[in-house]
Amino acid sequence: MALLEARQLTKRFPGVVALDGVSFDLQPGEVHALCGENGAGKSTLIKTLSGIHPAGTYEGEIRVDDRVARFESLQDAETAGIAVIYQELALVDEMSVAENIFLGHEPRRGPWVDWNTAHAEAARLLERFKIQLDPETPVRALGVGQKQLVEIVKALGKQSRILILDEPTAALAEAEVEILLRILRDLRTQGVGCIYISHKLGEVMSIADRITVLRDGASIVTTAARETDIPGVIRHMVGREIKDLFPRDRSAPVGEALLSVKDLTVAPSPGAPPRLREISFEVRAGQVLGIGGLMGAGRSETLLHLFGAWGTRVSGEVRLNGQPYPDPSPGHSIRHGLVMVTDDRKRYGLHLDQPIGYNLSLSSLDRVTRRGLVNEAAESQLDREFFDALRVKAPGLETPVGGLSGGNQQKVVIGKALMTGPRVVFLDEPTRGIDVGAKLEVYQLINRLTAEGRAVVLVSSELPELMGMSDRIVMLHEGAVGGTFQPEDFQQETLMAAAMGRRAADA
Amino acid sequence: MNAAATAPEATDSTPPAAPRIPGAALRELAMPLMLAAIWILFAVLSPQFLSARNLSMLLIELSFTAALAVGVLLVLLPGHTDLSVGAGAGLTGGIASVLVFRYGWPAPAALLLSLAVGLVLYWGMGWFIVRNRIQAFIVTLGAMLAFRGAFWLVIGSVTTPVARGGETNLYSLLTTYYLPPAAGLLLAAGVVAVLGWLTWRTRQRRLAADAAAESAEGTFLRIFIAAQGVLLTVLVCNQYRGVPLAFLMLCAVALAVHVMTRHMPFGRYLYAIGGNEEAAVVSGIPTQRVVTTAFLILGGIVAVTGFMATAYAGASTTTVGDLMELDAIAACVIGGTSLKGGRGTVLGALFGALIMASLLNGMTLLSVLPETKFIVRGLVLVFAVWMDVKLRRR
Repeated sequence: MALLEARQLTKRFPGVVALDGVSFDLQPGEVHALCGENGAGKSTLIKTLSGIHPAGTYEGEIRVDDRVARFESLQDAETAGIAVIYQELALVDEMSVAENIFLGHEPRRGPWVDWNTAHAEAARLLERFKIQLDPETPVRALGVGQKQLVEIVKALGKQSRILILDEPTAALAEAEVEILLRILRDLRTQGVGCIYISHKLGEVMSIADRITVLRDGASIVTTAARETDIPGVIRHMVGREIKDLFPRDRSAPVGEALLSVKDLTVAPSPGAPPRLREISFEVRAGQVLGIGGLMGAGRSETLLHLFGAWGTRVSGEVRLNGQPYPDPSPGHSIRHGLVMVTDDRKRYGLHLDQPIGYNLSLSSLDRVTRRGLVNEAAESQLDREFFDALRVKAPGLETPVGGLSGGNQQKVVIGKALMTGPRVVFLDEPTRGIDVGAKLEVYQLINRLTAEGRAVVLVSSELPELMGMSDRIVMLHEGAVGGTFQPEDFQQETLMAAAMGRRAADA
Repeated sequence: MNAAATAPEATDSTPPAAPRIPGAALRELAMPLMLAAIWILFAVLSPQFLSARNLSMLLIELSFTAALAVGVLLVLLPGHTDLSVGAGAGLTGGIASVLVFRYGWPAPAALLLSLAVGLVLYWGMGWFIVRNRIQAFIVTLGAMLAFRGAFWLVIGSVTTPVARGGETNLYSLLTTYYLPPAAGLLLAAGVVAVLGWLTWRTRQRRLAADAAAESAEGTFLRIFIAAQGVLLTVLVCNQYRGVPLAFLMLCAVALAVHVMTRHMPFGRYLYAIGGNEEAAVVSGIPTQRVVTTAFLILGGIVAVTGFMATAYAGASTTTVGDLMELDAIAACVIGGTSLKGGRGTVLGALFGALIMASLLNGMTLLSVLPETKFIVRGLVLVFAVWMDVKLRRR
């Protein structure tokens, strides 16, 4: 008997059929992966299954334990044992881990919240999943990966039988992904069913029992994971073959060093103990430098500091275009040809309410300003150029960025960065949470940038991506360089060992 | 990626739009409709409301409420606020009054010095807010109290006229000078000509750049309506004494701020900071300098408003500027400005101010009790915002 079943679900929005007769079932003790490009209908399916699109707004039926379920709201679905873990974090920053886990269903003693039980229970849950966190830590102090784990524990705390995970590992480093996958395997033995959505197909293949591929709102195929492989899944997702996932073109001539960093030591604030210690590397024109490491190893911080948005320099020397660059600020960096695409595009990259055009030109208004006034015609011409070159899929420059898919939002962020005419481009997780097609476009863009003689620094949690796209890789470990590698030494095991702070020989 | 091209992507993340056009149009028409309703109501209740004399008075009253609202908009856009502008207006007006009346300074010098004081005070306040990351609400609340005290101290808590013994000077003329009718008409013609030329040029440029431009009929209609409005205003004013100087000053302030917010990088940055400050920083925007500059400009506008409000009262009395900050903020909010920042326009703030000023003027004309006036203004403010929220959610 299926835990959860969707029969011929059709969900229409004005002008669009988001789901077109999707059928899907989830068995107890199964991890069922949903794959598909952005816009294929995954999120709509989840929202329908979890009551966000209430009964009556769709056609077809949802069955739980073989009985028709009519969810009016998310609460109804939760009562039926369905828990959803969203891509976007839904934690209250100002509350502690325990408070977040029990938010909305706090253990009570009479009219009062029983915090002792809550803390003990939270500690027990964390312990059970081998997550080393103090339940009284404020969530604000956690990294993205840890937050994601708390989110998962929170869902499990509700004794859910059906767990829906939407891109749960988008923000996790390899080690944390392992923790998560272990938790899922553990749940599987307890009869919990999981719907697992991820763009990381390697992960999907390793955890899923069955895979359903959605395309254009329809379920294309459902197959046992062991009867297919990654190219097979991709073929169904895009309806065509993608031969080379990482088409790095290393033929461009390598030029002079554009950015060199020597013994860089940085503290989060003046007087605090340093978070980055004696980091050295160099990027040349036409090169891609990959930076890897576990969550919290200091990858983003390194980039943010060089860009001028984080930390206080304790010691070390940075040279940009051969000139010393002692006291960076974002404005300075952009004027000196150094630009950064941050990992959290909604937080640091975009003005979601504003149109695409506004976002694209925000960092480059100098280029279209004459006698103090923005020349709107010139601006829109420039916007159009990047809009077309990056193949942003939207009706036009006036479309608000908030309504675009992740991949298109990312293109806007990248376009905004490139419009400043940079020589050095920092890309922090540029393919996080975007679909295969958009990823490929990002990789091609990286090739184009280096072919034009620019230097790229690429931070990524996905080792295959890092190995596929970099000309050299620096692995960071706890704020220091764990190892620097040339392409001939690119091997997952060696790189991971460096990230874990071990020498290759010990690994 | 081909698949993504065919399946509209918005559906994946956000509940997609029902056809928005009627809602949007309704929202844009909501304020004019509300204003029309208020005017019709007053016109029916009191025939004098639409007289040339009263409308001229209304324009002058509008001038200081609206100028201040437009100034406050500058700090609301980046997500700050300012509660001190009423007290600040009183203070700057008071300094000028004392210099003229007690020390016999020539009015232009007094006004200039007082303007400088306004600029310095607000620049300092803005600097203090961004440097120490203290909420503007708190700092400007403190400033409101301090400015009020300083104001009373400066004028010695006694009524201080803006001119000595019935003379006229630049200060007193601020709200008593009217443009001669012919000059008014000439000005109107000039404004319409410039407006038409600018609109036409923008259209040509957009077309040349292959950007979306509205239809020729739409453009013409817009210029035509604007021209009608300008001409009607001047004609009505000319039936009384001519276009009031105060109104021209408002136009100058509003035009300056409009150009700043719409056509200069500075304005883009204000919206960017209010919409998402972290993204603004990463975009290379000097956020602290931008916000400080907004406060500096606000300081200048506060001083100018203070001069007008004081001149209108004829003297600095302890009540000049009372509650003006709330009128200004209310006008912005009615005009669609978000107190969280990132949203709002000069035109909206002007409309909001016109609604607030019309209410006050009409009720005064009808001899409504002061108690009732407050209650009605409060209810209208909440109603207007409620309606805006309702229409926005559609």
